[in-house]
This record gives sequence, C-alpha cells and structure tokens, in this order.
Amino acid sequence: MTVAARGSSARARPATATTVAVLAAAAAFLLADVLVGFLAAPTDASTLGFTQKIFYVHAPIAETALLAYAVAFVAALLFLRRDDPRYDRLGLAAVRLGLLFSVLVMVSGVIWGRAAWGVWWAWEPRLTTFLIACLLYAGYFVLRGAVDDESRRATFAALYAIVAFVDVPITFFATRLLPAGLHPVVLGPSGSGMAWRDLVAFLCGTAGMTLLFVGLLRIEMGIEALREGLRDLADRLEG
Amino acid sequence: MTARSQPGVVASAGPEIVAAGLTRSFGRRAVVADLSFTVARGGFLALFGPNGAGKTTTLRLLATLLRPSAGSVAVAGHDGRRDPTAVRRAVGFISHEPLLYRDLTARENLRFYADMYGVADPAGRVAELLERLELGHRGGDAVATLSRGMRQRLAIARALVHRPRVLLLDEPDAGLDARAVELLGGLLAEIRGEHTFVCSTHDLRRGLELADQVLILDAGRAVYHAHGTLDPGDVLDVYRERVREGALV
Amino acid sequence: MVRKDLLLEMRTRETVAAMFLFVVLAMVVFHYAFTAGGRGAPALYTGGMLWVVFVFGALLGLGRSFAHEKDEGCLDGLLLCPVDRVTIFLSKMTANLVFLGLIQVLAVPVFALFFAPGRIVAHLPALVLLIALGDVGISALGTLLATIAMHTRARDLILPIVFLPLVVPLLIAAATGTSGLLSGAPGGPSLLGRAAFLLVYDGVFLVLAYGTYDVAIGE
Repeated sequence: MTVAARGSSARARPATATTVAVLAAAAAFLLADVLVGFLAAPTDASTLGFTQKIFYVHAPIAETALLAYAVAFVAALLFLRRDDPRYDRLGLAAVRLGLLFSVLVMVSGVIWGRAAWGVWWAWEPRLTTFLIACLLYAGYFVLRGAVDDESRRATFAALYAIVAFVDVPITFFATRLLPAGLHPVVLGPSGSGMAWRDLVAFLCGTAGMTLLFVGLLRIEMGIEALREGLRDLADRLEG
Repeated sequence: MTARSQPGVVASAGPEIVAAGLTRSFGRRAVVADLSFTVARGGFLALFGPNGAGKTTTLRLLATLLRPSAGSVAVAGHDGRRDPTAVRRAVGFISHEPLLYRDLTARENLRFYADMYGVADPAGRVAELLERLELGHRGGDAVATLSRGMRQRLAIARALVHRPRVLLLDEPDAGLDARAVELLGGLLAEIRGEHTFVCSTHDLRRGLELADQVLILDAGRAVYHAHGTLDPGDVLDVYRERVREGALV
Repeated sequence: MVRKDLLLEMRTRETVAAMFLFVVLAMVVFHYAFTAGGRGAPALYTGGMLWVVFVFGALLGLGRSFAHEKDEGCLDGLLLCPVDRVTIFLSKMTANLVFLGLIQVLAVPVFALFFAPGRIVAHLPALVLLIALGDVGISALGTLLATIAMHTRARDLILPIVFLPLVVPLLIAAATGTSGLLSGAPGGPSLLGRAAFLLVYDGVFLVLAYGTYDVAIGE
C-alpha cells in the first residue's frame, strides 16, 4: 500500500505543475481583461454607460458556466457508455464548478441590473434561464445525496446531467416566448457590434475564465481521486 | 463421486446454463469476479457462501436483472446480453420477496404474470397452478390476506406460470418457519425432474440433498466447486477452511 | 400492464381520489389568495393557477406510479418479464396520463364554476389541445423521473425537486397560452406557437426517455 501511495504522488507532481501553469495563464488573461476593459476600451455610448464594463466579467462567466454543463453532459454520456467511474468524477466536478459560475452570473447580473436599470430583478430570458439552471444543478447534488447505492448514484447523476443539459436551451426558448426584456443583446446580426478594444477585452475574459475553469476542474478531479483512494484504503483496512 | 441420475429428464445437446468469466463490478470493486460454471439440463447447482459473497448478484445476473461488467452468461442457448428477452422467457425466479401485488387477488396476480409472459390459455393455466399448489380455495382472496406460507406457494406458482426451463431460487427458505421449509423442500423434490435449478441457501443439508453440483462463493470468487453426490460434513469442512467468516446451518 | 395498474387503482382508490381532492382544495385556496384585495381573481392569473394546480396534482400521482412495485418489492417481478424496458415506460406513462386526464376532466368544470364559466366554454377545443399536449409532457418527464426517484431515499421529496425545474418550460408555454385564452387576448399565432413549443418539448423528452429508460429502471 505504501508503494502505491508513493507512486501516485510521484504521478501527481507533473500534473500539479500543469495545473499551476494553467491557473497562472488564467490569472494573466483575466488581468488583461480587466485592464483593457476598464481602462483602454471606450465607455459605452448607450444608456448603460460605465456599468457596461461589468459585461467583461459577466459574459465570460456565463459562457464558462455553460461550458461546464456541456462538459458534464459529455462526461455523463461517456460514463453511461463506458462505465468508468472517472467520468462520474469529471461530471461531478464539472457540475460543481458550473453551479459556482452560475451563481456568480446571477450575482453579477443582479449587480449590473441594479446599477444600470435600477431594478433588483427582471424576468428576462438569460437571467431566468440561469436561475433555472442553478435550481436544476442544485437538484443534481440533492439527487446524489439521496441515493445510497454507489453504482446507482453515478448512473442516476449521469442521467440527470443529460436531461438537465437538454432542458437549458429549452428553458431559454420558453422564456423568450414572453415579451422581450431589458437585457442587451451582444452578438446581434450586424456582427459583433463592438470596438476592437472591447473585443480584445472580451476575448481575454473568455480565455481567462475558460482557463480558470480548466484549472479548477483539474484541482477538483484531483481532490475527488484522493477521496476515492482514501475510501478504498479504509475499505481494505476494514474488510 | 457419482453423478446423481435424473428420472424423466432427457439428455440434451448442450448445457442449459453457461457462465464464463462472469464479472460484475463497479469501478475497481468486484461484487462477482470471474465466475465460470455450467449446469446441464435437469441439473441442480447449490450456491453457498456467507452474506455478501455475491450469491444474489450471481442469480440476478443469470436472470438478466443485472448486466455483467465482463464475461458472459447463456441460458437455454440464449445469450444474456444479446437476447435478454428470450432468457427471461426461459427463467423463473424465486426470491425471499414474493413479488406479488398485495391488493390484487391470487388469481389476478397469476393472470397478470401469465399475460405478461404470453402464456397460451392464461385462465386455464392459472386454474391449473392454483390447484396444483393447493390454493384453489383461496384464488379469489387478496394476497394481503394470505399467510406467509401460502404467499410463498403463490410465489412459486408465479415463477412456474410460463413453464420455464430454468428455476433460480435466491434463499427461498429465508424467513420461513420449520414447517414451511419442509413443504418447500417437498415441493422442490416433486418438481426436481422438470427443470434445471440454481439455488442459493444457507441450509447446507437440504441444499446438498437435492444438488448434483456445489459452488461456494466468498467475496465474489468461487472458492470451491464440485460435482456429484457430496457429504454435508465434507462440504462443511471445506467451507470452514476456505471462507473467512459466517456460519452455515 | 396498463390494465393491471388501473385494476390496482380501482381496488385501492388511493391515488386518483387524493389527486382530485388536492386539485379542488388548491383551487379554493388560490381563490382566497387572489381575492385578498377584495376583487375577483384576474383572468391573467387563473390560467397560470390552473396549471400550477395540475402540475402539483400530477406530482402526487407520479410519485405513486411505482409505489406498488417499490413498496411491495414487485419491481423484480416486472423486470423478469420478457418485455422491452421501453414498453414498461410507455405503459406506466399511459397509466399516469389516464389518471391525470381523469382528474382534469373532473377539475376543469370545477375550475369553470369557481372562476370563469363563459370563456371556458367558448375556447374549449383550444384549451383541450393545450391540456392534452401539456399532459403528455408532464407524464413522459414525470414517469422517467419517478423511475429514478423510486430508488432514492427521500422518494417523495426527490421527485418534486428534480421534476419542477425541468417542467418550467412546459409550464410557461401552457400557462401563458391558457391565460391568453381566458383573458380574451387574440388566439391565433401565439397559441399556435405555444402548442408547437409544447409539441417539441414532448418530443424531446419522449426521445430522451426512450433512449435512457433501460438504464433508468435499473439493471
């Protein structure tokens, strides 16, 4: 057992180095995002004014949350196909991060709404969809907690991740059925509609958030793997 | 050790049940690991082992209630993975749960299962089974009103309704009193010649009375496998020797 | 299979009675909640209210779909039968649909009585269409989730938690459609749009259920 532990920590070291590199790159991008966005880019001409700047943080977070859910979706499919518990761990980590990012979207969205339009909450498509997503994926954890049998837990979690992910776009379209809200549309039909400096800031933000997600994902996976190993050792000692 | 002769059973071309490298696991933990055995038509395999050894899992794998993680299982010539429906048609399963709907009558329960299995002349078959298991007089009563022993008999009727070639029994004597166990033993002896059996039990003596093949499981692995007439004392010695914990009757 | 479920229900009369009672009681509560200000319930609210009541009533029934099998350990009995898993899903879904439809047939007149007799009759076909489409979605999604929930610990809590967020889109479409009908807004395109949306929703979840049911019911 000692040999195995030593071996795994040796394997872990290069992985940790990569993770640190990823997080460092993420930090760099995010810093660039904030600097360019807040200092260099011109203030928005529309009624939003300075508050528009929050977009450079808000939008990348939103995209990354969706990316996280997509990763969970794929992990779930792979788990059901291959029956490898590693995919279950990946799905769990991805959903956890997705939920975290979604909550941040909500918070930054509410702040933006209050600053720009004076309302704390508006029932418009994107914000509502993220709210539902928060509820959905919180349900993911409730479901996991309620299943005692390990193999069933992973299977059901995977099923739920699949159903939830399919429901997100459906929810989005449903909320669109109601009259349009106040949320500005970013990527309209007339191109990106942003000055090039805005674009740079936005892309930096996107890249930064994505890298942050990947870095955190790796950490999460590492933690889960350690937990699994611990449980295995405990089982072996008992049995 | 001589093979027990089976009156009234015709020798068939291939073995009735074939398990090869049967494995069921989650992640790195194997509940059943690399089991291989065959049971000839008309044979009786007795499964022994402590709780948690994987007996129930093995039976459920044979019944296609579970899918194997690795290896294969074939019953009556049908592969469990490729053609589970055909396997289910050939298999009857008896566990310590009676698998009956409490609020429906005995007759309705049997009729439901007869219909689900596509039995020809379901009404006739139901009546026949009720007679044979001496439940005819209670046919119209809800299962909730039947005694434990009667429910077990009805459960056996349920398992037999579609005339399966193979019967799988998962500790059928669990929770029964001495008299009910006697009746069960008698019933099994009676139908011994008509089916192929795999039966798990903690009752060493009774199991060996009927069996012509023995498999002892421990922690998912086979620790002892033998054919023919066996002495309970010998088997008990082997059991104590090779199994880490637990006791047999 | 459907016959068995219906038989069981007739014998015990548990589920449908509870659902119907709940639906009527809920409507009474809503009436008082909405008229607190002294005026009648606005038509715009009643459409939504009807669907809320239906969804929660359906939840009661869905929670019980597999109750007999689970409580009495009969699930294995069902799984041992030589039937496709999807057939099990379809028959359970049908049974749930029947129960839901039954209480709706009884509840809609009560609703009309409490809230808006005239307009209901005028728009009956459209209302029936919306209800039918909504029911299919609720039953399909609900049966799939009830299958999963059956294996969990706090069965009765888990089902609503996983079901409600997923049913929100259906609710939005059905409720806004119904409100539109009842408040006299022009039917036409928006109703069609909502019906189409419900159709798509139903289709998506039926396909999902079809694809995943083998796994969901346990193997």
